[in-house]
Amino acid sequence: MSALEIKHLFGLRGVSKHDIRLILDNAKQFREILERPVKKVPSLRGMTVVNLFFENSTRTRTSFELAEKRLSADTVNFTSSNSSVKKGETLVDTLRNIEAMKIDIVVVRHKGTGVPKFLADNSDAIIVNAGDGAHEHPTQALLDMLTIEEKLGTLEGKNVTIVGDIRHSRVARSNLWGMTTMGAHVTLCGPSTLVPRNTELMDKVTWESDVKKAVKDADAIIALRLQKERMDDALLPSMREYRNTFGITHELLECAKDKVLIMHPGPINRGVELDSEIADGDNSVILNQVTNGVAVRMAVLYLLAGGRANA
Amino acid sequence: MRNLVLNNVRPFVNGKFDNPTKMCLVDGAWADSAPEGTQEFDAKGSLAIPALFGLGLDFKEPLRDDIYTFKDGVDAMRRGGFYGGLYESCANAIDDSLKLSAIQQISAKYGLSIAFLGAFSNGYQCKDLSEMVELAQSGAIGFGDGNQDCSRSRFLRLAMEYGSMTGKRFFFMPLDDSLRHHGLVHEGCYADTLGMKAIPRVAETIAAFRILEMARFLKVPVHFKQVSCGETLRLIEDARKIGVDVTCDVDIYHLLFDDSCLFNLDSNYNVPMPFRSAEDREALWKGLESGVVNAISINHDPVLRQDKEVNFEDAVPGAISLEVALPALWKSLCGRLSAARAVELLSTAPAQLAGVAPAEIRKGSAANLVLLDPDTPTEVTPSMFAGQVRNCPLLGQKLPSKILGTYLGGLWTEV
Repeated sequence: MSALEIKHLFGLRGVSKHDIRLILDNAKQFREILERPVKKVPSLRGMTVVNLFFENSTRTRTSFELAEKRLSADTVNFTSSNSSVKKGETLVDTLRNIEAMKIDIVVVRHKGTGVPKFLADNSDAIIVNAGDGAHEHPTQALLDMLTIEEKLGTLEGKNVTIVGDIRHSRVARSNLWGMTTMGAHVTLCGPSTLVPRNTELMDKVTWESDVKKAVKDADAIIALRLQKERMDDALLPSMREYRNTFGITHELLECAKDKVLIMHPGPINRGVELDSEIADGDNSVILNQVTNGVAVRMAVLYLLAGGRANA
Repeated sequence: MRNLVLNNVRPFVNGKFDNPTKMCLVDGAWADSAPEGTQEFDAKGSLAIPALFGLGLDFKEPLRDDIYTFKDGVDAMRRGGFYGGLYESCANAIDDSLKLSAIQQISAKYGLSIAFLGAFSNGYQCKDLSEMVELAQSGAIGFGDGNQDCSRSRFLRLAMEYGSMTGKRFFFMPLDDSLRHHGLVHEGCYADTLGMKAIPRVAETIAAFRILEMARFLKVPVHFKQVSCGETLRLIEDARKIGVDVTCDVDIYHLLFDDSCLFNLDSNYNVPMPFRSAEDREALWKGLESGVVNAISINHDPVLRQDKEVNFEDAVPGAISLEVALPALWKSLCGRLSAARAVELLSTAPAQLAGVAPAEIRKGSAANLVLLDPDTPTEVTPSMFAGQVRNCPLLGQKLPSKILGTYLGGLWTEV
């Protein structure tokens, strides 16, 4: 087995093409296993994975848990709402206590940028980022890439347009790093209050304010979830205006290629960022993304654990 | 030790460093000779620099003496070569004369020259005026509300108008809270890449402009603490041209770091005024060169280990600097400025802003000095710091220079 260059998965910024290729190729194999009657492999037997979620999550946590179980790992779920964190325990103490129980891998989600790296600096466990603030959500981007490769054969030379709240999106950031590394052309589009102003370090992507232009040549469109809090914060006037300006609608898709893939990281605000008939339509690959999420997470855990075992 | 003979030392006299000579330090002064048997120290050609004056001391005592105390702070000052400083606690508003005299009494035990800012509002709430006249009569050298933004313009006007009776200067860290909006770092390409909540430059310039307009209107002297961007310096220059009495300082770490340090995600880089872009840092250096910037501040702000050993965004902002300021900055300063200007920025000018007599090195008069070997690097280790705190962004790094010892208030401390 070829090994990953990375020891942990903090994000996709700086991750090599070799590593992303390896994860996607392994994920394709795990994808096949998921279609079998017996969907379990013994790869992580004897290893313990802790899902350390300080933010609410249903689908990502479930997807990771399923991936861990499919790999035969022992899993423990730790959420901040029912933990010692509520009693004032520091993040480091929480981690060290969990680590003292002899765990191998920590999957972490936290509102703070850089928490996965912080945990890796303070522990011996393998750390996998399941979303840190608005920074990165690497496994979501990997499953997006897997889905595009599955449908279009390759990412190389493909046009991927991401529409929505780019500024607050960890999904958009991971995707722009990962997809550009793999040779895709990424276009980002959103309302001016929801896109970053200082993009010098994100110069491999195209920034487009006109959504019709942004989707025109797209092979895949990723619509981002719009948080309702953005309205409270006066970043947008209304859901209605957002839908009419940046929502993925039939009318908008008339400007796009016929076979354009429609993607969404979920959960969807139907009728806001994505109209229901589009979400459920022929071009939608949203449920494929969900299935691929398990395969990608299996690949990430398998490869990172393999790297440690081989070290 | 009260007496010491420094051999082979280059004292800063009349605006320059003398050739290597012998200094007899007796009872806090530079004497012609020392009593027989006085301990000697070979300075090996090191520099005797007038002791420094630290703008922005916060020793946490009395309300948070679990974090740090005056004893710790004075220990840090002695290690770093500071003979005095301007104290303003962000946690404890000195908003009446009883609180001021209590903290003055604590400070007096240690024999260094510490001046105090009074709060202009009770509890830094920007709601009720503090008794500024009595605070001034009791020794407050000026007024400030910690690092709080006084966003209520009418209250700001009334505070400055009332305080004008005292003739004292008002000190502000210009940062508009509304524009700050939970931001922690500079709004630039690093913050946007990392997806972090950020503070735009306009949060500083808008706050600064509002204060400058008020200062012009009321003819009240003001001081800006920790200016972090070139635009604010331009506002200050413009205001001076129309007669506004405005002074400003820049923080030592803003001269050393820019926002590229964010990629480290080290919580020690989480400070109240964010490190801005490389262009801003250069603008601050140019401000030192041109004279727009009056002084360099140190903003010594201890934070407990457990409040820094967390991820960046959950860390308590603040950095300590007394022990490392001079060896970290001296060579860079002298690379761009004259030694005389460097001494002015670190010692004379900050002392003048606080109304304290500057440290001088002159034969026959009081000597407060710090002995610096400019060319011997020092590694910043936890043992360098006084007290229990270690929240220094330079921890683990190599500084270009080394402090060998300090002679402050007649006491020699070998470092």
